[in-house]
Amino acid sequence: MKKNINLQSCIIATALGSMLFTASCKKDFLNVPPQAQQPSVTFWKTQDDALKGVNAMYANLRSWDNVAFNAIAIESTGSDEADKGSTPTDATFFNLFDQFTVTSTQGSLQGFWTGQYQNINLCNQVLDNVPNITMDAALKSRFLAEAKFIRAYSYFRLVRAYGNVPLRLNVPKDNTEYNIRQSDKANVYAQIEKDLTEAATVLPQSYGAADLGRATRGAALGLKAKAAMYQKKWADVLALTNQVMVLGYDLFSDYEKLFRTQNENNVESLFEVQAELLQSNGDASNSQYSQVQGVAGVMGWGFNTPSAELASAYESGDPRRDATILFRGETTPQGDLVPTTVPNERYNQKSYVPFNTRVSGFNEGAQQNFRVLRFADILLMNAEAANELGNPTQALTSLNRVRRRARGNNANILPDVTTTDQTALRNAIWKERQVELAMENDRYFDVIRQGRALQVFGPKGWKANKNEVWPIPQTEIDLSGGLLKQNPGY
Amino acid sequence: MKRIFTRISVLAVFLLLAINVAFAQNITVKGVVTDGGDKTPLPGVTILIKGAQGGTQTDSNGNYSISVPSTATLVFNFVGYTAQEQAVANRTTINVGLASSTQQLEQVVVVGYGTQRKIDVTGSVATVKGEDISKQISTNPVGALQGKVAGVSITNTGTPGGSPTITIRGSGTIYGKTVPLYVVDGVWYDDINFLNPADIANISILKDASAQSIYGIRAANGVVLVTTNKGKKGDAVINYNGTVGFQKVTNQVEMANASEYATAVNEAYALQGAQPLFANTNLGEGTNWYDVALREALITNHQLSISGGSEKSTYNLSLGYLDQDGIVKNNNYKRYTARLSNDFQVFEPLKIGYNVTATSSKSKDPASGIFRALYAASPVVPVFNADGSYGDPNAFNLGNGSNMNPQATLDFFNQNTTKYKITGNVFAELKFLKNFTFRTSLGGDFGQEEVRGYIPVYKASNTQQNTNSKLDIDRIENRNWIIENTLTYDRKWTDHNLTVLVGQTAQRNKMYEINADALNVPYTSEGDLYLALGDAATRNVTDKGEISTFASYFARVNYSYKNRYLLNASIRRDGASQFFGSDNLWGNFPSIGAGWVITNEDFMKDQKIFSNLKLRGSWGKVGNAGVPFNPSTQTVDQSAGLIAFFGGLPYTGASIRSIVPPFLLWERSAGTDVGLEMGFLNNKLTIEADYYNRKTEQAIFDIPVLGSIGTQNSSLIANQADIQNRGFEFSATWADKTEGGFTYSISGNVGMNNNKVLNVTSGSNPIYRGGAGLTSGYLSTRTVNNRPIGEFFGYQVEGVFQSDAEAAAWPGFKRGDFKYADINGDGIIDLKDRVVLGNPNPKFTYGVNTNFAYKNFDLTLDIQGVADVDVFNANLSNRFGNENYTKDFITNRWNGPGTSNSYSSASLASGLNNAPNSFYVEKGDYIRLRNIQLGYTLPQAISNKMKMQRLRVFLNAQNAVNIFGYKGFSPEVGGAPTNAGIDTNVYPLFATYNFGLNVTF
Repeated sequence: MKKNINLQSCIIATALGSMLFTASCKKDFLNVPPQAQQPSVTFWKTQDDALKGVNAMYANLRSWDNVAFNAIAIESTGSDEADKGSTPTDATFFNLFDQFTVTSTQGSLQGFWTGQYQNINLCNQVLDNVPNITMDAALKSRFLAEAKFIRAYSYFRLVRAYGNVPLRLNVPKDNTEYNIRQSDKANVYAQIEKDLTEAATVLPQSYGAADLGRATRGAALGLKAKAAMYQKKWADVLALTNQVMVLGYDLFSDYEKLFRTQNENNVESLFEVQAELLQSNGDASNSQYSQVQGVAGVMGWGFNTPSAELASAYESGDPRRDATILFRGETTPQGDLVPTTVPNERYNQKSYVPFNTRVSGFNEGAQQNFRVLRFADILLMNAEAANELGNPTQALTSLNRVRRRARGNNANILPDVTTTDQTALRNAIWKERQVELAMENDRYFDVIRQGRALQVFGPKGWKANKNEVWPIPQTEIDLSGGLLKQNPGY
Repeated sequence: MKRIFTRISVLAVFLLLAINVAFAQNITVKGVVTDGGDKTPLPGVTILIKGAQGGTQTDSNGNYSISVPSTATLVFNFVGYTAQEQAVANRTTINVGLASSTQQLEQVVVVGYGTQRKIDVTGSVATVKGEDISKQISTNPVGALQGKVAGVSITNTGTPGGSPTITIRGSGTIYGKTVPLYVVDGVWYDDINFLNPADIANISILKDASAQSIYGIRAANGVVLVTTNKGKKGDAVINYNGTVGFQKVTNQVEMANASEYATAVNEAYALQGAQPLFANTNLGEGTNWYDVALREALITNHQLSISGGSEKSTYNLSLGYLDQDGIVKNNNYKRYTARLSNDFQVFEPLKIGYNVTATSSKSKDPASGIFRALYAASPVVPVFNADGSYGDPNAFNLGNGSNMNPQATLDFFNQNTTKYKITGNVFAELKFLKNFTFRTSLGGDFGQEEVRGYIPVYKASNTQQNTNSKLDIDRIENRNWIIENTLTYDRKWTDHNLTVLVGQTAQRNKMYEINADALNVPYTSEGDLYLALGDAATRNVTDKGEISTFASYFARVNYSYKNRYLLNASIRRDGASQFFGSDNLWGNFPSIGAGWVITNEDFMKDQKIFSNLKLRGSWGKVGNAGVPFNPSTQTVDQSAGLIAFFGGLPYTGASIRSIVPPFLLWERSAGTDVGLEMGFLNNKLTIEADYYNRKTEQAIFDIPVLGSIGTQNSSLIANQADIQNRGFEFSATWADKTEGGFTYSISGNVGMNNNKVLNVTSGSNPIYRGGAGLTSGYLSTRTVNNRPIGEFFGYQVEGVFQSDAEAAAWPGFKRGDFKYADINGDGIIDLKDRVVLGNPNPKFTYGVNTNFAYKNFDLTLDIQGVADVDVFNANLSNRFGNENYTKDFITNRWNGPGTSNSYSSASLASGLNNAPNSFYVEKGDYIRLRNIQLGYTLPQAISNKMKMQRLRVFLNAQNAVNIFGYKGFSPEVGGAPTNAGIDTNVYPLFATYNFGLNVTF
């Protein structure tokens, strides 16, 4: 019995001891840091953080919302150059954009909107935080300029698509800054130009190989010219394009090869969204720009197909037709046969990546860059501005430079334009834009800018005083408690 | 020393008896006292001589022997049984079967950190006996509970090795864990998939907040207490249970044949203004893909246990083996279990022991998405072409959505899931100072789960090919431990019965997951599958981890007076590391319960109606710490999507893409429960009814954020909603035995639950969910203030447009399209016109469980069902193009004016026809013959000859009959809250037929 009592006391002592032990160290016991996550308060401290933050802005430009379905719906489907594609019953929501019956609750409206504002947040993060980092001063100002460029690019896409949009220039500090009013279109454009002006003074003219693809001075000036063109500020367009034209850009010799992955970031390129297929990282190989437009069942899903109107828009013998449109049954210059059993007659050849690059489990064509701005566009803007300002000679020089490249060595096609009649020349430039920049998400807003949308898209259902912009996403209006105002007609 | 005294007193009794013998001319009566129901011997039954001194007790085998006057009357008394009188009348053998009349009342139930007499329980605790679980021939112990307990809703997954979903009294959370807490012999788990159902002695389900709240922060979804088999003192008992059977799909959905399919596709194309896809639609039957991929599958299950013990120790060793083929080809699951428990009575007051379970399982997983693929695959595509190559859907120009040949999917899918787990606890229990018990237990749980996928290089078609082989290894390790110390004071005096418990626990859970893959790993055998053999440049490794710690203190008082007035109260205080840094690190979870056993009142003594009448009520608070980790800590996003490319090379990107709530804490629920327990006719009929009302407070809910803030997610989460579950439960059992030896019991239960979201702080902004990828890109559920969680939400079908003229007023619609109600009357059908279409939360769950025994035959028949629930038939609606149609749809489709006003045209994928709408929401009610088992026990004489104590053979059928109106494979769909009830790629329902053997040596 004595033995028992000893044992009892021993166990009780141990147990009480263990309770006390746990009690005394409970503070530490419950202090477990988050696992495998970096708290944001530790970020934006070093030059490396700044670099990562800047890289992130570029990376998001290839997201689904920025280059795939939603971008196609907003920037391409409404035009006369593209059809929905795929099988008749697949993803018929594109028809809402094609036939202008879309209403504010349609999901792509929100998707594209959010995609652009995600870019803007990533830029604002850099612009708010990088100034406070102690780092190389030159690099710091370049980083800020890069952020301004991408912010301007995103606002440009927003203002074209929606008109008056909220203008966020800072990361909201707290919930009092979440809900803000729309700014007038004019103010949005003013901010775009301000950002681009500031960016252009800092950004380098070019980069070394390790930074190839970052925003350049030429990109900032070129985009600013385009923004000016959308506001019909012809003197600005002329001045800016003239500036770009002396920066060393040139037209790439072969129009078809211009769009192949091995010629990315070539002499003609002002800005491209950089994408790769990285076999060690499927999640980083996330660009679906090429996949959604790829030959259906072979290299992708087959959406956003070139229309019959586009196919017939080319002058006879224009090699750009074959370089832009991948016809059913054709064999590509890279040797791929487009099967005769595919559901669509035509596919977008500008997003085309040869079939043998396909890696199972990865998005087809994930390595294809999305071309945002090329020198041909600069030349055509230059031509248009010169013509509008009464300088047909310069206009013709720039216009014919574009045609000459397309012509190549074949003297029998695409003769130089010679007219100096302002209207005729304007029409020729617009026509040139249609075929030169086809299937590059330019045509739809270009025609609206030209003021011809009713004439060109009217037969498809386009309505004046309504379809100049798409509706503001309904969820966004609802969440704003009515602070955001819907566009007229929706 | 104490024992010596006991022996002396026993001796004195014998002495007294001897004196009695001397005075009366007595005879010796012998016999066995057994339970009148299951015939098990009852040890410790008191036998008294009526109107005289003296008596005896039965021994451990229920035997007794007593010397009494030949004219005496014996009174047999045993706790929990009705006393029985037997006149000796010169008999020397009197065998008695005691009716367990008050069994319900005196039964002991397992509750948190101990046991309680059923009579003392003031909350709602349901118990299920081990034999009722093992009779289900279920591969998972939770699945065996289906239909057994009122208010416990179980949705089985057909996937071999999968765990069923269990919901106790409705879903009270959206973001938190929805699984109940499982406590197996004192160790805590989220899943008890590793347990062999045959090892379970008893399951208690704590349903109300007062019973749960002793488990504090982990108890909000209910608590399931599992007690496993222990050895009993005596000779070794060897048990073998084995079954072998087959499984066969039931309620198979009939799909369109090739001719019907081609006709329908051409119709759809014509409606889109396109040329017909099939020049010739007379294609015959074509391929029935379900016949290609499904099979009758074998299942075998063996279990061997050895148990026994001596005065000082008991042991139980059990081994189990399960081998189950899936009903889809190439799918197989094998599980090996071993369990050992030992108890040692070291000294009179000290007991120590341990339980340890080791489990290993290996699954050849069903090909991912195979069931959806079988549904969608076109019947015009042959399995193989004449030249032996795979039939290629692209050759038929079918487009996205039906571009897979399921045979190729089956052939090239290679994924194994292996799981290892070793878990258990060691404990010591010390009784001291007469009324005190101190118990300490240390539990551990070490698990590893590995999913290994390999895609070989192959080419079946352009859309089904792989150019670079890929090996993918995902390994999850869990290392959890838990320490529990409790001190119990237990005292009975006069009319008082008091138990006080205080305790403390600490636990730590660690999870670590590592995922690695590599391309171009050659395959010559399974032994070649190493990442090191792949291309170095393509190797990719990521990992993640979670650590959580909990510290808790608790106390409970149970008091009863005269077995009439009951009072239980408890408090638990929990701290959780997940909330470290907030002011809410610690939470208190109190409970209180009271009961009144009316039949024990004096004024009830003379009534004959009730053999038991008890009223009870309780209130308690519980918590759910299973919420997302550290969501109020804003973190840096470094995901792969932020990797930038410059000059063709990747560069790390990182930024801040979120806004977070100021703090986040556990969810807490407060629940009340009022129950009435009744027994009639000596408890032949027992009835239990409960009303409950449980409110989750501070439930984590979405706050949608403006897209223009530019965050990665369109919402953030915060504690800001209340969710209510209230309902009734009712169960009744009739158990009886006829003179002719026919024993039977019939019990039924039904639970009714109403689920509703209350008070969302941030306003009425709903959560839209319901898997866009499953529902043609649309979200199909809505969760909003004042409505149930995850209601189906979409367009109301008013009919079908019979002509283009009729559809002309509606932009985007044409003939044959569904005509939707224009709810806001703006002349346009868009997302503003959606309405509630149905509720995936079942309102009624019920079960009927019966047992019959006559002589050597026994029969069990269980029926189970669900009523007033809706299912979203996403298999039907989820279309991107030319997926196959069901026969039902083909037969009833619109194909010209006047042909249908309820089924649309075959152009299902176009326009808004495939958007969530009322056509796709169907009643999910079902009633099922869950289990039927007929057994025959060989007469003892024969089995003894074969050196066996007992030999029973049986036939069993599970899920043999299923009755439902739903047009899919199975209305038993399940899913997490806000995504529940959406049927796509659900493992088809199947029936299992078994032959089995129970042998006891």
